Amino acid sequence: MASTLTFFSQRRLINLGLLLSAVAAFWALQESYANGIRSTGLLSGTALFGTCLVLALFNARKKLPFIPLLKASTWTQFHIYAGWFAVVVFFFHTGLRMPNGLFEIALYSVFLAVALSGVLGLILSRIYPSRLRLYGENLMYERIPSLRQQLQADVEKIIWKSVNETKSFTLARMYESKLKAYFSAKKNTFHHLIGSEKPVNDLTEELNQLQRYMVAAERVFLAEVIECVKAKDNLDMQATCQGVLKYWLFIHIPLTFSLLLMGLLHGLMALAFN
Amino acid sequence: MSEAPATISRPQRWDVPFESAMGAVAVARILSIPPFSQIDASRFPASTSLPDILLNDTGLRSFKKNQVIVREGDYGNSAFFIITGSVRVALGKDAIPAEVLGRRQPEKKDFLSTLRQLWGNARYPEVRSLRRYKEAKAGAEHEKGDDTTAIFLHDIPSVLKGGTAVLTAGMFFGEIAALSRTPRTATIFAEEDCELLEIRWQGLRELRLRAPEIKQFIDTNYRKYSLENHLRETKYFKDLSPAELKEVANQTRFETYGSFDWHSNYKKNRDVAPEERIKEEPLIAEEGQYANGLVLIRAGFARMSQKYNQGERTASYLSRGQMFGFDEIAHNWNTKDSAPLQYTLRALGYVDVLVVPTSVVEQYILPKIPQASFPPPIVAQNKQINDRRDGELSTDVVEFLVDNRFINGRATMVMDLDRCTRCDDCIRACASAHDNNPRFVRHGHQIGRYMIANACMHCLDPVCMIGCPTGAIHRNALGGQVVINDTTCIGCSTCANSCPYNNIQMVEIRNELGEHILDQENRPVTKAAKCDLCVEQMTGPACVNACPHDALTRVDMQDTQTFAKWLQR
Ligand code: SF4
Ligand code: SF4
Repeated sequence: MASTLTFFSQRRLINLGLLLSAVAAFWALQESYANGIRSTGLLSGTALFGTCLVLALFNARKKLPFIPLLKASTWTQFHIYAGWFAVVVFFFHTGLRMPNGLFEIALYSVFLAVALSGVLGLILSRIYPSRLRLYGENLMYERIPSLRQQLQADVEKIIWKSVNETKSFTLARMYESKLKAYFSAKKNTFHHLIGSEKPVNDLTEELNQLQRYMVAAERVFLAEVIECVKAKDNLDMQATCQGVLKYWLFIHIPLTFSLLLMGLLHGLMALAFN
Repeated sequence: MSEAPATISRPQRWDVPFESAMGAVAVARILSIPPFSQIDASRFPASTSLPDILLNDTGLRSFKKNQVIVREGDYGNSAFFIITGSVRVALGKDAIPAEVLGRRQPEKKDFLSTLRQLWGNARYPEVRSLRRYKEAKAGAEHEKGDDTTAIFLHDIPSVLKGGTAVLTAGMFFGEIAALSRTPRTATIFAEEDCELLEIRWQGLRELRLRAPEIKQFIDTNYRKYSLENHLRETKYFKDLSPAELKEVANQTRFETYGSFDWHSNYKKNRDVAPEERIKEEPLIAEEGQYANGLVLIRAGFARMSQKYNQGERTASYLSRGQMFGFDEIAHNWNTKDSAPLQYTLRALGYVDVLVVPTSVVEQYILPKIPQASFPPPIVAQNKQINDRRDGELSTDVVEFLVDNRFINGRATMVMDLDRCTRCDDCIRACASAHDNNPRFVRHGHQIGRYMIANACMHCLDPVCMIGCPTGAIHRNALGGQVVINDTTCIGCSTCANSCPYNNIQMVEIRNELGEHILDQENRPVTKAAKCDLCVEQMTGPACVNACPHDALTRVDMQDTQTFAKWLQR
């Protein structure tokens, strides 16, 4: 049976097993503390802070790719499952109660924000790569702005040529009223985030509707412009999704450091006042 | 500290000779020994005269009795000519245990120098130390052949697993590995104190090109001394007695298809439609014909294809050590049937094959094979395109690999675009392992969700090495990685132009202040740069180590099972 599982499914099962064992072990420990006179809050708090600290080390590991410290992909797996473990310990620690006091509310919210940004990052990193591949040509993120400028210049050339050769202004007017704005900046970010192609379909539809007002020669240029519209849509999609994949860490990592700092303060205060 | 002025004289081919101790007297002495004495020196151009080749591309080496000269499995960049004394070839695979051969791991950075990369990397791209170049020129640093200078075999009868053969004064050895860019097939040690002339392959190639005497001498040598060895290492030939092996060797034909410098043609024809290109590939054996010989691949690659509707479907590719036609010959002999060849075999670029006639296979080989080891009988097949079993590559992947010649890769960078988040951690890791210079581009040919990135593949047949006049681009003796000696690279771009995969960049070098280093004529000095598979790093390839999403791997295209497993994970 196990041999029919792919490597990834096997790994998922093993990691899940390890996570459940860790949770069970922690729960047993917590119970043994609860039956004694020692503080379960201190236990879960220490475990939570320690786990968060280890999770944060992943970022340091990334800066040392040439040191033999296990592969980054092994760290990612550990990061994912240890992250889930931290969430479980968090609920043990807070006892599913809402916090009171400003600092506690802030700490509670920051933890949830770190956890949610982590889960979101994981989901996006599993969904966006294949969408990026299937949507259109794969482009280097850094080159997208210059490609956009180039595309706009190409469209303007087509429009000029169309006006010169056909003496018809349908396409030029459309460019001035709508396409110029479309080509000059990143557009439809929200739709690209949720994977909707509605805006580009609407725009091509609108352009196709113009055919009836065009001379035959102008339609040839229209077809070229539609191709450019689609290319621009791919540029926007690549910029949006690649940007999210690149920059979500700019939320997750600073939040993690704030969490560690606040957690440390919280721990010190708890120790001081108990 | 500044290293100004940032000027050096433009590097030349023989700035750093193979052996600085080689002088006019030694050259005159070599020229008095046959076959060198028989060479017509006027056939060499003035820029690469015969004495100059001997002076700059060869070196005299002395070996003591029982000292190892070349080790089986090492990648050699040179051949040897025996001037005095004799040497012994240890016959058979793994004839001498690796520990006895003193195998060393390639030199890696220690922990401290590894850590130093964190803060010690250059701030500008492609920074080089001028001091190192100047020292190298003065001290004639060069790529030696094999790093086996001080290994002696003791108690030879007990360390040797198989027999030996003797080579005496006046013979060449090591030329196949040096010229075909493949690992040494045998360990050779000095039988008595002896003196050898080591010739780096650039020099050997010119000698073969311009002096037919040398070429003929080497080819005859091969038939006489290496062919039996090669056959002995082939599956099904192992159990032949020495007399039988000799008889089989005598009847074996050498055949060569395609051209040695296949990359130039390949580059030219890259835009031709695949179905047209396949027809241009030299035919070795054709589907439907009678199998009149067993084909053994000695060097290069061949495509195995089958007719499929109006075209040809590539079933697989063969490389060194693999055979073709055995199943049909065995089937016919075993069942008294007359099944024709099931596949067509075509040369992919350059292929060197040995053909053992069917009658010889029937007489000497098949009777020795136990019934249980025979291949399954041939049945009419109706395979569909993309039929694929676990552990096998699908047809479209095989076609893609063959059409783009990625089959050449021993460490091809494959990326799974459905897992790659485009985070560029791999590029950053590569840059930090190479003084802040990334050595690959996250871009390349795609098949479905997989991409072969533009990173050196450390090819089985590294054609990039063919024209390098100084031997700067060479194989690492132990691991076989194709690496560039930055000191001896003269920036001629031959390698970059030869690499069919565009995996070498020519870069303009700078000093530590970021200023371009110029030659006497104020032109920027360039050097070839590419992935070196992080030979010096403790972790191996930093890219693989750094990918957080299991999106990137390095694949040996000869190990299709591991690759298929990775694709099907
Ligand atoms: S440089 Fe090109 S030809 Fe040479 S080993 Fe690398 S990929 Fe192969
Ligand atoms: S540029 Fe390439 S071929 Fe020329 S010397 Fe350097 S390594 Fe050799």
